[in-house]
Amino acid sequence: MTTTNRLAAEPTAVGASERRPVPRKRRESGLTNTRLWLWRIFLVVAFVVCWELASGRIVSELMVSRPTAVAERLWTWITDGTLGEHILVTAQATGLGFALGAGAGMLVGYITASFRRFGDVVEPAMTALYTMPRLALAPLFILWFGLGMQFRVIFASVIVFFLVYFNTHFGVKDVKGELIAAVRLMGASRREVAIKVVIPSALVWVAAGFKLSVPYALIGVVVGEMLASDQGLGYLLQRSANQFNASGTFATIITLLVIALLLDFILTRLTGRFLGWRSKGALNPL
Amino acid sequence: MARPDHATRQAQPSPVDRAGGGQPLVTLENLTFGYPGGETILEDLDLRVRQGEFLALLGPSGCGKTTIMNLVAGFVRPRQGTVVFDGAPLRGINTRVGYMTQGDTLLPWRTVAKNVQLPLEIRATPRARANQLVDSYLGMLHLSDARDRFPSELSGGMKRRALLARSLIYEPAMLLMDEPFAALDAQLREALHRELLSTVAQLRQTVMFVTHDISESILLADRVIVLGTQPAGILAEVVIPFGADRDLAEIRLSNEYLGLERKVRDLLRQ
Repeated sequence: MTTTNRLAAEPTAVGASERRPVPRKRRESGLTNTRLWLWRIFLVVAFVVCWELASGRIVSELMVSRPTAVAERLWTWITDGTLGEHILVTAQATGLGFALGAGAGMLVGYITASFRRFGDVVEPAMTALYTMPRLALAPLFILWFGLGMQFRVIFASVIVFFLVYFNTHFGVKDVKGELIAAVRLMGASRREVAIKVVIPSALVWVAAGFKLSVPYALIGVVVGEMLASDQGLGYLLQRSANQFNASGTFATIITLLVIALLLDFILTRLTGRFLGWRSKGALNPL
Repeated sequence: MARPDHATRQAQPSPVDRAGGGQPLVTLENLTFGYPGGETILEDLDLRVRQGEFLALLGPSGCGKTTIMNLVAGFVRPRQGTVVFDGAPLRGINTRVGYMTQGDTLLPWRTVAKNVQLPLEIRATPRARANQLVDSYLGMLHLSDARDRFPSELSGGMKRRALLARSLIYEPAMLLMDEPFAALDAQLREALHRELLSTVAQLRQTVMFVTHDISESILLADRVIVLGTQPAGILAEVVIPFGADRDLAEIRLSNEYLGLERKVRDLLRQ
């Protein structure tokens, strides 16, 4: 949406479309927006209708269930408290894992970028660990931390750590030396340079790392719950699938989808408060 | 209007002729500079900038003009010789200068007012006083209407004025300007020249201005130092007699100006 608006604003900024009558342009973009949303909603509705019609006729209901059955299952789980209980467990682990991983990632990323020599020593090891598929760590972590919440939290935080670490590291390295020099002349100490220049400047990168890693935190927790747990949405998913309960499986998947979207929305709102300046100005290629 | 009432500022230089008397604020003595292992960029340079003076350093690109600025700012140290600033040898970064370069060093996440306020935050100026100063400097540089805009929303000229306001607000003893208007079109440059001169006159600011543009140096400065190529040394010193409240449009057409321009051009050609 934002992209569309920005693209539409670009020619005006460079003066190319100054002669275009303004009212027409407004009507155009207004219509486009409404139409766009109508199409989006239509797509979802059409999918659900097709699913309902196809189920039991073209595809076995045992495999794909049907939207009405999924809704029914969701309703039962919501009313009897099952869903709430499992959501709480998953959300807790995701939140904790994200906070731990993101906190550690920012700290280590900041240190390795600020102290170049240390960073040079550590970087190859970090890259090696990053390229390794982290799911492979799960059995080891189960061995170390057991089957409880601790394992899932740490597993998720390790996944988040690397994403936030690399973004912070490069974000801090990317800060313009010119800006630092200017602030140093004003009398800023090292600490003030960090607070006034380096951190705000790196925040764009860090925020991108956050956005990228929230879904991964959720994936880490859910996978952990599927592997070894008797609670959480991952467990619910695994149990439903094992019992050939397609409606339960889909109900859980839809719940996860909603949670992921919600988390992304919250994070975008939170980071947007600090990054509002980026959407200002007529021409912003980023 | 004098500099908006400031108790912290030291005694002003007497407003008598800017190019004349006056105590030296900066003295470069016997200065030699080169990067470690690299060739010599400056050799045996002697240079004095007096209180309240507008000094222009003129020379071809790569002649070490920017290096001189960086030495005065304390970003680099001389291989030989000393930089004496306000009576004491310079050690470390010189926080008593303002430095404006060709680059855009406004912090993009801060509004104009917040950018201009930044040096005051760092110097822990009380809030009420800081707000008052920001208002008066934004007013002086005609930025009051743009105070809440972000740098990306500003035109090139507005950015320059915001940078100038930010470099001046903490009342530096000296303002260093390294080709600050090089990236602007001629018309805008002329407007900013006028604005710079009136601001500098109001504040009786000492300025060291680097440029490779002959007319810019003559129009703005009280004294032009012409530098030769590497290792750079001073070729000549030209005193500009136009005074502080000069009318740029009129000067440009005067025979005196044309004579000076020819003189400097000949010096550079040598």
